[in-house]
Amino acid sequence: MAKARRVALRIVGGLQCGLGGLASVFAYLVYTSPLIRDTLVIASEEVPLYMFLFLVLGMFSILSGFLLVHEKDSGN
Amino acid sequence: MGEKSLKRELGLLHATMMGIGGAICAGVFVTLGYAATLAGTALIIAMILCGIINLFTMLSYAELGAAIPSAGGEYTFAKASFGGFLSFATGWFEWISNMFYASFSSIGFAYLISYVIPTVNIPLIAIIIVAIFTIINIKGVKETGLTQTALVIMLLGILGVFIFWGFFNGQNAGSLGLKAPEGFLGVLRASAFIFVVYLGGEAIAVAQAEIKDPGKTIPRAILLSCFALILIYTTIALVVFKTVPAESLAGKVSPLAYVAEQFMGPIGVVIITVAGIIAALSSVNTSIMASSRVAYALARDGYFPKGFFTLHARFRTPIIATLVGSVLIAAFAATGIVNFVTYATDFGFIIGFVFVNLSLIKLRRDKPNLHRPFKVPLYPLTPILGIVTSLLLIFFLEPSTLLIGLELFIFGLTAYYIKMVGHYRVCLAMGGMNLGISAFSALFAFLIMSNLLPISLSQDTSLLLFCVAILVSITYLIAGLLNVTRKHE
Repeated sequence: MAKARRVALRIVGGLQCGLGGLASVFAYLVYTSPLIRDTLVIASEEVPLYMFLFLVLGMFSILSGFLLVHEKDSGN
Repeated sequence: MGEKSLKRELGLLHATMMGIGGAICAGVFVTLGYAATLAGTALIIAMILCGIINLFTMLSYAELGAAIPSAGGEYTFAKASFGGFLSFATGWFEWISNMFYASFSSIGFAYLISYVIPTVNIPLIAIIIVAIFTIINIKGVKETGLTQTALVIMLLGILGVFIFWGFFNGQNAGSLGLKAPEGFLGVLRASAFIFVVYLGGEAIAVAQAEIKDPGKTIPRAILLSCFALILIYTTIALVVFKTVPAESLAGKVSPLAYVAEQFMGPIGVVIITVAGIIAALSSVNTSIMASSRVAYALARDGYFPKGFFTLHARFRTPIIATLVGSVLIAAFAATGIVNFVTYATDFGFIIGFVFVNLSLIKLRRDKPNLHRPFKVPLYPLTPILGIVTSLLLIFFLEPSTLLIGLELFIFGLTAYYIKMVGHYRVCLAMGGMNLGISAFSALFAFLIMSNLLPISLSQDTSLLLFCVAILVSITYLIAGLLNVTRKHE
């Protein structure tokens, strides 16, 4: 059970870090790429709001992912 | 490397130049055009008004800096008066806004270079310049001060040539009669827009632990730089409106270069571009120094990792704080997103102004016997005016500034929470948030699947978003469960 938990911590933590990184990159792309904005029907005045949401989500995900991976490292 | 104290090596000249150089950024070279369309020739009044608003808060900096001359500036003042989260938030905003300011200035520098050499890579140039000033800052505060003094003297020399040439030999196609096309409201809006040119002067307070005879030098340097800035900006505005009509500045990328061209010819454009480059360099130098000192002070009090409190054994500069800050500055600069960086800078500095005035009022009430080599005149009117005018400026800025400010606040709050509460409680909170995000993503996936989203997306985009929402929902559900089932150590 402990081994299964360790594996889950590693996979989910890594996945969360990856998703967090992607969310941050996506926030940058929403700001810089008109193509992305057009595809997702984002008006220019809504860009700061989307950036805000993606950056907060990205930061939270990276943090949560690190905490999970760290739990594995400390042997719990 | 050891943990010795910072060296007091900056005299009145270096400190004053730090204040002037910190404030005169590339902004003054580019903001005049739009500001003139708002305020007309009454921009001269807006310049003086901004200078007075800045002075209200700078007087508070002078009193607090002389009374509590240790590293950290606003953060140190808030720590002495409030402590807890409020002091951390002040330091956090100060650290972040100085880093953003350094990024903004390095990007500005790279853009100015690109006028001369159009093929240059802007992010690369910005990163190189950050690296150069990081080395100077690590080398020692004396070197930082000397570099700053040299840059500011060159800058003032060029601006002096512009002003005298414009006054005595320039053309008189403009008018010095005060006219505001949008009335007093236009003057206020122009004031909010150009206030950025006064920001950065408080770098003197951040470096106060390295200033000789702080009781006398800090208030003198702060007040000298304040009055010098009012004089410089007002005379620049006078030359501009004497030379050309206010309407002709609309849409000009570099209004100051345009004006210089009118009475100096093409050499005027070159001179003003060089001045802009020097201004950007001096801002990079000052803000790298300021951000590192704030991080150093935050680490001293346990809010930041201990490593930030390490001084270089030989140069006695906060090497880790400088290096980490510079890496972040270079990363922000590499993105090249100037608007975001500008708004974040404005918000951070203005919030810092509010906290400094609040700290002054609190300290006057709580510690009336604290030795104060300098006292703010007309207390409590002056700090109250400082708070009110600073808050008013925030509401005259772009609405997205508030959103970015909220974002920075959330990041700061998270950092504080993680540092100050136990690991187990952080994991529980994270678990709860993970479960919430999972539920929200599941709802989002359901809305996409049911075609209930209020926007019309192509089938491919909908499918992609649906898959991402399902992936996020499952990942966060498992992460949430793993967090909340963690054993209490």
